[in-house]
Amino acid sequence: MKIKSKGFFTRRTSEALIFILPALILIIIFYILPVVLSIYISFTPLKNWNLDRYLGEIVGFRNYEKFFYMLQHDPIIRNVFLTTIVFITITLAINVLGGLGLALATYFVSEKLSAPFRTLWLLPRMAPIAVYSLVWYYFFHGSEIGTLNSFLMHLGIIKEPISWGHDIIPWGPWSIIIFVNGLVGVSFGMIVFTSAISNIPKELVIAARVDGASNWQISRRIFIPLMKWHILYVTTWQLLSLLTTYAHIFLLVQWGLVSRQYGTTWSLYIYQVAFTGRTDQGLAAAAGVILVIVGGILGYITLRMLGFEKMITRPRGDI
Amino acid sequence: MSLKDVEVRSRKTEVLIALAVILATLPIIIGFSLIILSSFSKSMVTNFDPKSFHPTLENWINLFQGKSAAVGGLREDILKYTLNTAIVALGVSLLVTLVGTMSGYAISRMNFRYRKQFLLLILLLHAFPGSVLIVGVYFIYRLIAPLALGSITAFSFFYVIIARAALEIPMATWLMKGFFDLIPWEVEWAALIDGASRFTVWRKVMLPLVKPGIAAILLFGFLAGWQDLIYVRTFLAEKTLATFIEYNLGAPEYAEMPLVAAAATLYLLPTIVFFVTSQQLLLKVSLAGLKR
Repeated sequence: MKIKSKGFFTRRTSEALIFILPALILIIIFYILPVVLSIYISFTPLKNWNLDRYLGEIVGFRNYEKFFYMLQHDPIIRNVFLTTIVFITITLAINVLGGLGLALATYFVSEKLSAPFRTLWLLPRMAPIAVYSLVWYYFFHGSEIGTLNSFLMHLGIIKEPISWGHDIIPWGPWSIIIFVNGLVGVSFGMIVFTSAISNIPKELVIAARVDGASNWQISRRIFIPLMKWHILYVTTWQLLSLLTTYAHIFLLVQWGLVSRQYGTTWSLYIYQVAFTGRTDQGLAAAAGVILVIVGGILGYITLRMLGFEKMITRPRGDI
Repeated sequence: MSLKDVEVRSRKTEVLIALAVILATLPIIIGFSLIILSSFSKSMVTNFDPKSFHPTLENWINLFQGKSAAVGGLREDILKYTLNTAIVALGVSLLVTLVGTMSGYAISRMNFRYRKQFLLLILLLHAFPGSVLIVGVYFIYRLIAPLALGSITAFSFFYVIIARAALEIPMATWLMKGFFDLIPWEVEWAALIDGASRFTVWRKVMLPLVKPGIAAILLFGFLAGWQDLIYVRTFLAEKTLATFIEYNLGAPEYAEMPLVAAAATLYLLPTIVFFVTSQQLLLKVSLAGLKR
């Protein structure tokens, strides 16, 4: 390794290196190397993880061409994209507005009443993903054992059970994946906003109350303007995580609760193509590389918007 | 919080808001309760029909005896799956804590070259969940698995723990930085002037002062490893509770569903226990990454 800048291995830097080395090694092996390898795989025709047969073969941009060709002509991929866009847009709105709504609502009721609900809303995020999926599998099940179906049938709203994930295309499967992921994301917004509200000086609220302001006016005129940064933070953070995570919808598609066509988002598609059924890692890697580029750009814009410089002030007391 | 009590609230709006919150939370409560209830019944009780509820402890007894022929007369050693899940969760928890307390200390307290770049990297990775990189991560696994000494099973545990822990490193680093930031510098100076090395200061002076942070990160790492599905199903040579559930629901007509519900309840239990005992810690962890 060439060291250009003078004094890289000063005592201070090598001291710090000991502390960051474990994290650095993990980041290199599990973030940077996989990106590099994904780029490489995307130039090979790798299928069914048959490394011996395909790994030496380079096919240039064929996987990318295939991907963009499919995007134009293959209805399956087009549905994946449509699903991704609808899914991200609506889930994001639910996450941010739901989080905001819950944070404000729990502020205006007494702590004793609100604390258990805050905890309950953490459950979707923290519960084992397989259990969480099982819960919604039965909730939205297409037969009369499904909770939603039997509830609506008891009320007499529907006569026959509806297969939510298959009958009403495309909004049935979309609603399910949006609902299931929406609940996971709401807690994030709720926690961030709750903490933001608790940091707002109480004098402001009391002064407004004395002037006769309603809950709505206090939220609208005091809390929301003061939480602009937090709202931006939650929005951009959730946008990125919705773009790249698929764990909470994976089983719903795998178990056939929602139709594969309208229940698969871009990141889930990558996983499916790479690991389930007849696999094509070259194509999956190409789709993954494009996603990494989109995510990387979005992530960078996010950090700039959030005022990255402010978040990394130097440690003032270091000697 | 005491100032909040000064406020005069109208009782009526409070009740209305509370009702709205309860209503919104209802699907979560109902969904989880019905699965838990089903584990004590002969058949699933997910429809609102009291007639389908036949109370029994059979599922739980079968579960612990491993008797349940869940699919095609196979014996399912659920205790072993639970142990496998726990091994992964504990491994992730310990590794994330060790690495996170070290790197968090460095970026909070030390001023080194490329600190800014390292921080930018951590933040960028924090914002960008690594789960889409799994194709590359599996590729590495396939490349190095043949080199593994000893059993492939042991290696798969080892790999899934580090790979899953790596996903939590940016968050853990940022969280621990927040905890270290709160400690007054005078403490550290005193030790450094006495001639202690940075490593000694970290271990002997700083770590005891960030105990709440360490507890938070241990807990969070454990839950992250415990809840995981994608990594264990992709890499692990043995079943965990997550893959057991996935496998059974793949062919629900052959599965003994109330038994699966019991396994799911068992799987959910640690999460619930941590919820009840350490709400505040969980809330704190979820706030990691916020500016102070």
